[in-house]
Amino acid sequence: MRITLVVLVVLAVASGAAAGPLDAPGADKAVVCSACHGPGGQSPSNVMPILAGMPSWYLKKAVQDYAAGRRPSPEMEPYAKQVLQLGVDEIAAYFSGQTRQPAAVRPDAAAVERGRAAAAQCVVCHAASGKGDPGKGIPDITGQPQGYLQSQMLLFKADRRSPGDESLKALKAFFRQIADEQIVDLAAYYSSLR
Amino acid sequence: MTRVTRREFLAASGTGLGLLATGCAPALKGDFAPKTGRRVVVIGGGWGGATAAKYVRLADPSVEVVLLEPGRRFVSCPFSNLVLSGVRTIDSLTFGYGGLRKQGVRVLHETATAIEPDARRVRVGEGYLQYDRLIVSPGVEFQTEQVEGLAEAGDQVLHAWKAGPQTVMLAERLRAMPEGGVFVLTVPPVAYRCPPGPYERVCQVAWYLKNAKPRAKLIVLDANQNVVSKTALFRAAWQAYPNLEYRASNKVVKVDPGVRQVTTEFGDTVKYDVVNLIPPQRAGTIAVQADLVSADKRWCEVNHVTYESVKHPNVHVIGDSTIGLPVPKSGNIANAMGKISALAVVRLLNGKEPQALAPGNTCYSWVNDKEAIAVVNAYKIDGGKVVQIEQKLTPGQSAQWGQHALGWAASIWNDMLG
Repeated sequence: MRITLVVLVVLAVASGAAAGPLDAPGADKAVVCSACHGPGGQSPSNVMPILAGMPSWYLKKAVQDYAAGRRPSPEMEPYAKQVLQLGVDEIAAYFSGQTRQPAAVRPDAAAVERGRAAAAQCVVCHAASGKGDPGKGIPDITGQPQGYLQSQMLLFKADRRSPGDESLKALKAFFRQIADEQIVDLAAYYSSLR
Repeated sequence: MTRVTRREFLAASGTGLGLLATGCAPALKGDFAPKTGRRVVVIGGGWGGATAAKYVRLADPSVEVVLLEPGRRFVSCPFSNLVLSGVRTIDSLTFGYGGLRKQGVRVLHETATAIEPDARRVRVGEGYLQYDRLIVSPGVEFQTEQVEGLAEAGDQVLHAWKAGPQTVMLAERLRAMPEGGVFVLTVPPVAYRCPPGPYERVCQVAWYLKNAKPRAKLIVLDANQNVVSKTALFRAAWQAYPNLEYRASNKVVKVDPGVRQVTTEFGDTVKYDVVNLIPPQRAGTIAVQADLVSADKRWCEVNHVTYESVKHPNVHVIGDSTIGLPVPKSGNIANAMGKISALAVVRLLNGKEPQALAPGNTCYSWVNDKEAIAVVNAYKIDGGKVVQIEQKLTPGQSAQWGQHALGWAASIWNDMLG
């Protein structure tokens, strides 16, 4: 006879609807994103960016760039088109309204310190805080998973992210002259910033 | 994710009166868990059902959710081909249901034996559970009767197509195979669970043999006319495996473990040292018994927006057992259907119109120990039906896609069970 544990819990449950985490405007349209980006955009992996708390202007630009092929990605191009169908403004507003938690994978402390020193070169555009300048289209790069930041810098270095974009020429030239090891450190540092 | 103790379960079950019964399989009789509010019962705790149970709770915490799943641990089919090559352990793909309990889902490790749509009841043993809406995510069942000798063969012929003990057994047989042995892998005719899965398995077995038993041979007998999914990418990956022989349009109709031989529908026989026979498939048994399947008695037709069965009201069917949507039978699709059906069920329970939401599909396949390929499908709802917007494939295989696969797995397992 199979050993079983049967637990019967009788709950006093109200009859009406109760507000849940999916009641926020746009939350239902964003559920398809959560398989990779986590519920509420709180990515639990080191690979996918955290969408929670991402400024809506930047998220919208990213979706439009992916959909148009300006930011080549076989994974994101189809999904970006799906998001445009559903309504990118609503979905971007939903994610930007979510509170960002620290990245699940914590960067190595020594790498963070090396990255802090190396980041002197980045503050000209991204500001000392790493929060960027929305007025100039410069994104907030703080608090993202280290693996994601690292992969994006390597894509810039290889001119595989936004290839041919004139406004990013200086950025890509900068990455070409620094070693991949320093990119790892920079990713660790910016991942550690809140 | 760790297995939750009884104490944690009771704590996670929220306020209210807790009644605990424990011991040697007490008979479940009558209405063994009377409904006190609105209730959704979910049958099956896989990719679709676990996700649906969690997301009903996220969408409306006042709705009671009971998940019926006989297995105490969830084992992921995606990534399980890596157990055959020894790249992953089965333990690294095995998770408990503690995360769902923390969301307030009542997880009962019992088997649903029948559905009574008119009475809105699910039979469990001698008892029953009442529901307001039912979500059925029964996965696939094997049509063993389609291959002569398969039913009698028992564990002598493994499918390893539901990750678990058979996966481990097949890995052991691969390791124990003679140096110059022949491994035969058979692919069933479409539709079956995970279209690229057999071809990823081919890569993993071939990669293992190339490194561990270079004199051995892998023969693939495919019932289909060509590689069903990611065709060019798999064929390119196979260039690295000279000991692989792929035979299209070779449907296996008979197996004889006594003489270690399979027979194709044309009467050709192939000898093997180790066989992996992936049988033809249909919807899980409960879906067939409950008359949720179409005239072919194989798959379930559903409304593309709500996933409500076209056969029975208030019963929703998700995952691999559905048919008629232009989507693959994949874990990612089942996860998406779980979320969309949960949102639809909650809106229907609250007297609201369901949102027209379409699923998405991201599917990685490992072509060796480090490199992967991927296909991604995006969809929309058009005229009440799921329609594909676009399909994209990776331009080739790379370790970069392998890293993305790892990130995808970490995220989606958490989305289902975390």
